[in-house]
Amino acid sequence: MQGFVATGLIGISLGAQYALLALGFTLIFGILGVVNFAHGGFYVLGGYLAYSLVTYLGAPYAAAVVGAALGTTALGYLFERFVLDRLIDDHLATLMLTLGLYMMMSSGILVMFGPQSPSFTFPLTGVIRGYGFYLPIENLVVLGVCIVGILSIYGLIYHTDFGRALRALADDRAVATAQGLRPTVLFPAAFALATGLAGLTGALVTPILSLAPHVGDPVLATSFLIVILGGLGSVGGATVAAFLVGMVEAFSAVYLGGSKGALALFVLVLIMLVVKPSGLFGHRVRGA
Amino acid sequence: MIQFARSAARGGSYSETIGVLVIAAVFVVPWITENPMVYSLANQMLIAITAAFSVYIMLRMNLMTFAVPTFMAIGGYTVAMLGLRHGVTDVLLLGLASFVVPALFALPLGALVLRLTGVYFVLVTFVLTEITQLVLFETPGLTGGSNGLVGMPAVTFFGIELGDNRAVLQVTIGLALVGAIVTAVVTRGLRQHFAAIEENELLAQSLGLVVWHYKAFGFVIAAGVSGLAGFALVNMLLTAHPTSFSALSSVNYIAYTIIGGKSSMLGPIVGGALLIWAGDIFALRGEYSQFLFGFLIVVVVLLARDGIVGTIYRLGVRAVSRRTSSRKSPSAALGVPNAMEPLK
Repeated sequence: MQGFVATGLIGISLGAQYALLALGFTLIFGILGVVNFAHGGFYVLGGYLAYSLVTYLGAPYAAAVVGAALGTTALGYLFERFVLDRLIDDHLATLMLTLGLYMMMSSGILVMFGPQSPSFTFPLTGVIRGYGFYLPIENLVVLGVCIVGILSIYGLIYHTDFGRALRALADDRAVATAQGLRPTVLFPAAFALATGLAGLTGALVTPILSLAPHVGDPVLATSFLIVILGGLGSVGGATVAAFLVGMVEAFSAVYLGGSKGALALFVLVLIMLVVKPSGLFGHRVRGA
Repeated sequence: MIQFARSAARGGSYSETIGVLVIAAVFVVPWITENPMVYSLANQMLIAITAAFSVYIMLRMNLMTFAVPTFMAIGGYTVAMLGLRHGVTDVLLLGLASFVVPALFALPLGALVLRLTGVYFVLVTFVLTEITQLVLFETPGLTGGSNGLVGMPAVTFFGIELGDNRAVLQVTIGLALVGAIVTAVVTRGLRQHFAAIEENELLAQSLGLVVWHYKAFGFVIAAGVSGLAGFALVNMLLTAHPTSFSALSSVNYIAYTIIGGKSSMLGPIVGGALLIWAGDIFALRGEYSQFLFGFLIVVVVLLARDGIVGTIYRLGVRAVSRRTSSRKSPSAALGVPNAMEPLK
């Protein structure tokens, strides 16, 4: 029982991290119609930015996390504004562009920092002993930040003018543009928001899990998985699917071992894509 | 001028023949040199080109596939298992198996994934390569798991052992040539069917084309061609290992095709050869080549959508047409837009 609760807590904290990542991914697809292959790259970049700020500039960890989020936001903004925006309606072209960016980012990081993982650890350590379970404080902090992040995204999307404008553009760009909304301003902002989320997650999570140039690949695969499961472009679906995937990963790692849980998830997603491409909860958000 | 425009539109019809001839011409290499560096480079180029052919076939139907490593793995592991466990070493038999087995796997898979188009197809094929990796690692009894399959016997050709460097290259060339011929025959023979599907699938269907047949056929053939590349790779490395078929290696095959040019069969050949060669130059630090590939993809997608081959061809056509049209009509010389140039 003790192990069961502890595993559940790990699952929740994994799920919260995945949700933060997948929300960005699904926003980019829902609003811009872009499958962002560079999402894992922004996660890694966030980690390395935070690491550099802490190690080379001696910044406190919290400031480094904010800095990493801002840095990835800025890069995302520039990339959308000056590269992606020129071909924004061509799904395969934008996919190739983000793929190209990902290859440049990951090899750039590899060249600058080398293939070894640097020692980058969470500043807080310790364990909370509860009634029959243990919870590392670092996981608790990450969980807290992630939940605040997820709630802010929801607030932003559903309760502000900016969010309403983004949803209008996702719904029907022609009409929204005719009403005076400007994709040239809003698209880069949406992309920047999503890449900033990936960077924030990277800065928060890599000190706990691991930081290395290649850790973006599994992150990309997991984001795919969650977003397909929840329905491409669906914000609510991505959140639920993220916690589902977190739980399945935690429990299968403990009780099945190896990567059987991941295999089961991938097969589930494959079936899902074929039977119901719109995902568990979604309706097809946009034709692609 | 109309005559010229028509021949320009058909201009691609020679590219298949040239493509096959170029691959066949590589047979000269093992005759004129014994330099192992050249052999290694030629091997890598041909494997890359064969795998890129598979991407090229699918792009004829406007489907971008990430599933090439999946079928390469099926082809490669089939050959390794036949050699190790059943003592089959005949190169013709193994070559046939490396084409047929992935093609057979592709039939039911195609029935599932070909219902999707565009971004959804990209995602499902990406998921497929991830599944392939996990399956390879999770079935140690069959595939050797994380150790892979090692130590298979050298392939033979009517009893002659093809074990040395030169013979390995000859096997690779043979496989690439078969892949090239299959690609050429299929893409030329079904050019109009594929073009109709690429242009507008729904319209093609309403005009009576049984779209499903051609898509399934293209997918199966592309899988077989990937399988040949998988055989060549396993034969070169003498091992079948999951890392040879990683999900992100599919990105390279797509890069070769897109950068070389996806509108002609020469595209994957030029792209594969140039990028492997460029990678070899930068190979002192392997990571630079990934940076180069990424950069080139962005440049090609933004500035030269037809890739290297397409751009050279377009510039050539423009140069020729400018010369002929300036003689005939003064308007072209004054910079009036040329009606023959495609509107971009």
